[in-house]
Amino acid sequence: MAFELGILTFGELTTDLTTGRMPSPEERMKQTIEQARVADEVGLDVFGVGEHHRTDFVASAPHMVLAAAAMATRNIQLTSGVTVLSSEDPVRVFQNFATLDLISGGRAEIIAGRGSYTESFPLFGYDLGDYADLFREKLDLLLAIRAENPVSWQGRLRAPLVNADIAPRPISDLPIWVGVGGTPASAVRTGQLGLPLALALLLGPITQFERPVDLYRQASVAAGHDLSSQRISINAHGMVGKTSQSARDDFFPYFSRGLGENNHQRGASFNLPRNAFEAQASPAGGLLVGSPQEIIDKLLTYHDLYGVSRAVFQMGFGGVPQQTHLEAIERLGTEVAPVIRAEIASRESVNA
Amino acid sequence: MSRPLRVVVVNGSPTQRSKTMGLVKLITESLSQKLAIEVHQTNVYHLGPSFTGAISRADLDPAVEAEYAAVESADLLIAATPVYRGSYAGMFKHFFDLVGQYSLTNTPVILVATGGSDRHALVIEHALRPLFGFFQAATIPVGFYANSGDFDGDLVLNAEVYSRIEVGLGDVIDSLHQTVNR
Repeated sequence: MAFELGILTFGELTTDLTTGRMPSPEERMKQTIEQARVADEVGLDVFGVGEHHRTDFVASAPHMVLAAAAMATRNIQLTSGVTVLSSEDPVRVFQNFATLDLISGGRAEIIAGRGSYTESFPLFGYDLGDYADLFREKLDLLLAIRAENPVSWQGRLRAPLVNADIAPRPISDLPIWVGVGGTPASAVRTGQLGLPLALALLLGPITQFERPVDLYRQASVAAGHDLSSQRISINAHGMVGKTSQSARDDFFPYFSRGLGENNHQRGASFNLPRNAFEAQASPAGGLLVGSPQEIIDKLLTYHDLYGVSRAVFQMGFGGVPQQTHLEAIERLGTEVAPVIRAEIASRESVNA
Repeated sequence: MSRPLRVVVVNGSPTQRSKTMGLVKLITESLSQKLAIEVHQTNVYHLGPSFTGAISRADLDPAVEAEYAAVESADLLIAATPVYRGSYAGMFKHFFDLVGQYSLTNTPVILVATGGSDRHALVIEHALRPLFGFFQAATIPVGFYANSGDFDGDLVLNAEVYSRIEVGLGDVIDSLHQTVNR
């Protein structure tokens, strides 16, 4: 299978650390579409937009942003990263992404996830206490809608559907991935459903997904799914720099700040220390930060460890300035992607 | 005019390149960014037969006695051990069995441990802290623990550990400054 490379953004709305300037939501939205355009131009395979419901991110409606990106691009796959399915109506999600599929000529995709933030639950009237059940049931419904039309479905947390006609229908088979943060139970469930697995890595050792990936494969085989359904993607923060040092220097201040929100100490946000970041950027750490050659080496490690056939980079976290971001996208497409595709294709031809 | 803070690490690991010392290195590096320090390390597994066979302080070679003197006169002690059979390493305890009962009174002590999994994390609270409670030492509130999966060689890959070190040292850095400015 051809190795796919892509980028993912949340549409961060935070200040430029050099100038102190805050991009307006309108400006960041235009920049986001520009990122998609450049990614497509340099031959990347995937463009993703994540869903967040707070003022430090501009993307709460990924399908809308992706629809605009569809008109600015030709070939790139357009995905959500992730769709917080637990607090969405699967009927609406399917309609939105089927519409995107028609707009984009069959390039729409969904990565369904539980979400790493919880703001969307009270916003849409859901109880966080139902967190796990909501996701399980809504994923079940989304898959049922994709499988057949009209559809009949019954669950516990949503009104049943009886012979419901859900339109439009997509051109493609509308790929649905499941975003997993490493919880073994989530990996098992994804394997049982025969769905592709998008591993989301924030921080930690590059080897941290060994157990969930094993469990995913075992569960998929045990449930009788075809091996080809077992696709694995790594979705990680990163930055492809001109040099090893510039990648780290450009990325660290933004990543550290952005991560403060996810790195609570005593209930308050806490910026990531530089030495902690350097460890994550080392060959055994999971972050995709470095020179093109470093990134190539690390992607090959990911491929060898987990058999990943896709890597999606989030390079704008914390509000990385647009120019730096665009240059990194270009390097990913022109310096990393060709080498990785050729190297992995040659490895797989040897194996076969 | 202040002097460097005398930091003594009591290393309970027998290994040359150990995870326990990899974790300690993060602590001493962070300390050295905050104030001037000089670090002495006592490796309890490499003190030789006069130590391993000792029943009392009188049995120790002068070189080992000097290690005890360093520990007992430290401005800041870092007590670091891997978890062996559910607790601190035996030789680590043997070392402290020969430390004077009142020699560590009110000495600040940083508690550090590494273990095979996070199931051992409370060794800091259930084994190390009571030991230094006996000595009436001033153990700092936050202990530092990492499991073997957090490491690549002796490099810590768990970012949480780094943040915890900054927070934990932040609690006591003012009083450490006072120690050397007195």
